[in-house]
Amino acid sequence: MRPTASSQPQRPPPPEGAPFVLIEKGVHGLTLHALNAEARAAGLWRGQAHADACAMLPHLVSAPAEQDRDLVALKRLALWAERFSPSVAIDTLAPGFEGLFLDMTGGAHLFGGEAALLANLRGRLARAGIPAHVAMADTPAAAWALARFSGEAERVARAGGLREALSDLPVEGLRLEAKALALLKKFGLKSIGDLYDLPRAGLARRFRGEIGFRVVERLDQALGFTPEPLDPERPAPSYRVWTPFAEPVIDMAGVGVHLPALAEALCGQLSRDGRGARRLRLTGFRVDGRVTLIEAALSAPAATPAHLIRLLREKGLEKLDLGFGIDALMLSAEKAEALDARQMEMDEAADLAPPQALAALIDRLQARLGESVVRRPSFRESWVPERSEAWTLAGPQAPAPPERDDARLRPILLFEAPEPVQTLAELPDGVPARFIWRRAARRVVKAEGPERLGAEWWALGARPQRTRDYYRVEDENGRRYWLYREGLYGREDADRAPSWWIAGVFA
Amino acid sequence: MSLTLLHPLPTPDPTLFPSLCEPLEEAAAAEPADAAAALAFALGRLAGPKDARPVVLVTTGLWLRERGRPFARGLAGWGLGPERLIWIRAEREAEALWALEEALKSGAVAGGLASVEAPPFVATRRLDFAARAGGALGVLLRAGPTGDLSAARRRWRIKAGPSATHDFDPAAPGRVRLNAELVRRRDGPPGAWALEQDDETGRLRLVAGLAGHGLDETDRQFAAAASAAA
Repeated sequence: MRPTASSQPQRPPPPEGAPFVLIEKGVHGLTLHALNAEARAAGLWRGQAHADACAMLPHLVSAPAEQDRDLVALKRLALWAERFSPSVAIDTLAPGFEGLFLDMTGGAHLFGGEAALLANLRGRLARAGIPAHVAMADTPAAAWALARFSGEAERVARAGGLREALSDLPVEGLRLEAKALALLKKFGLKSIGDLYDLPRAGLARRFRGEIGFRVVERLDQALGFTPEPLDPERPAPSYRVWTPFAEPVIDMAGVGVHLPALAEALCGQLSRDGRGARRLRLTGFRVDGRVTLIEAALSAPAATPAHLIRLLREKGLEKLDLGFGIDALMLSAEKAEALDARQMEMDEAADLAPPQALAALIDRLQARLGESVVRRPSFRESWVPERSEAWTLAGPQAPAPPERDDARLRPILLFEAPEPVQTLAELPDGVPARFIWRRAARRVVKAEGPERLGAEWWALGARPQRTRDYYRVEDENGRRYWLYREGLYGREDADRAPSWWIAGVFA
Repeated sequence: MSLTLLHPLPTPDPTLFPSLCEPLEEAAAAEPADAAAALAFALGRLAGPKDARPVVLVTTGLWLRERGRPFARGLAGWGLGPERLIWIRAEREAEALWALEEALKSGAVAGGLASVEAPPFVATRRLDFAARAGGALGVLLRAGPTGDLSAARRRWRIKAGPSATHDFDPAAPGRVRLNAELVRRRDGPPGAWALEQDDETGRLRLVAGLAGHGLDETDRQFAAAASAAA
């Protein structure tokens, strides 16, 4: 059998019921990075030298830690957790204690209360194979401590009862660095409650440098005297609607059935505020604790359900990877802008449609073909043909007209890169009498020129250019070309002969 | 002697150059080198009606590499201001046909043209329906003359012609001239016309005969007959 190539090598699952550790390369050799419950029970600890651990447990199974993949997994979990709250932050402050913060302010009742919410959250994680401890408290720092050191898998701190809830927890719950912890232990301060009655100025003075300040700050954060803002993984969208399913949806048809109601509700929210979506995201929450999403951008704000649905369909609902099914679907407007209300004119009702219809058309084309595909011209004040105009991404607004009218002197087709031609001229710096382009010889019957364009030395980033003489020539078959000679005979770059190019084709 | 000799303007005769566009037309270059002339002719067809809606140009990657990209400063000379231009830079032909169909039926554009090599008959039929549904005009730009099936109501073959004499400089190219041959049409017999660019509007008009503005062969025959009768 041929070995199959896989982008991510599968690691054999860790043995059940046996001590298992992940190791990383440290300054002093291999150290333990993460441990399972059995390894911890055997007396190993994080940061211990791998050699010491092997001496204690000769049959210790270990594997190299992959921290970047851990972080990716945590981010993926954060996206999934958005089904509970729009604001989810990743916490990597304390190594070995990584986790997620969910801002549930005002949202717990949607899940049947705080205890039910925690049970729901932990149950879903357990079904996806993620053992987790969850806690809920008035401050992020308190929740952090309760989840990790309360010993309970689900813990809700009574509102306003932070002091009692935290008083028995060890000082490790304050997220302090090892030096501060060692000092606190040395003073006999083992639990957070021991710190409550100490005079704060004295507490800060006991430690040298910033550490003392950090202890007081962490304590204040835990008790809610100092605010601790969360930095959500993604800014919370202001407009989002979602629908949970009783049974996981496993096919696109199921998604398609629920989409209209979601779009309707989202557009209701948007139009209530007189706004329209500029960026849409459809998120499916999978049963295995992952999310799958598609995004669509709009060229002008819109709050029309039919348009939003069509856009997402154009983008390809089949790009959603449903896996073993999704149990909730969320539609959010990641970016919303004020919707210009348009007044109907009595006799010009027919003229109302085009601007919106055009924006809708551009959206559909961009969703299907890519955003860079639909373009409109924009002009620069430059005489060099390649620089004088650019095709920029299309919006519903019409571009400004060019600053000069030289349309008759310019070709309708311009080569992205000018192509070389071989010429035969009567005079070295005159109009060519014949030229060969794409292996076909053409006799010049009529010609006009030169139109001399100097190098734009002031243009930033432009290559040093030579002077160009442009000629409009017509061959014996009546086809018209735009030729130019780069360089002047005997005056510029004496060592490099001027060269002939074809820039474009006239009608 | 009768006074009918001074036949003033072209009469509405079916053999005159059809200035009105059918929903879907095809403009094929007589030879690959005439692609620019065919493009100019197609632009003339699209710029025709008085309509402020934009016009889409759909190109394929192949066409772009072979013929160059549309140059808006030059296109403006053909009666299509840059404010009306939208360029869709499709890569494959199927994408180009889809984009043109979407644009035509959206009702947001006055018309569109797509450069295609070999559109299937079904696709052209769809384009015809889309153009009528959206009240737009579609033009298929072909690189060479072909005899395949197409739902286009008119099939043109465009060939560049020697330009008119320049008013001030006999050595310089003058007004653009091209020969448009209507190979197939549903609403009348085929025909051929010599066209030139109008200085004022940038649109194409019939090449003027010896005496008169924009007279074509029929009118000249008419005038000849009238003078013979006299």
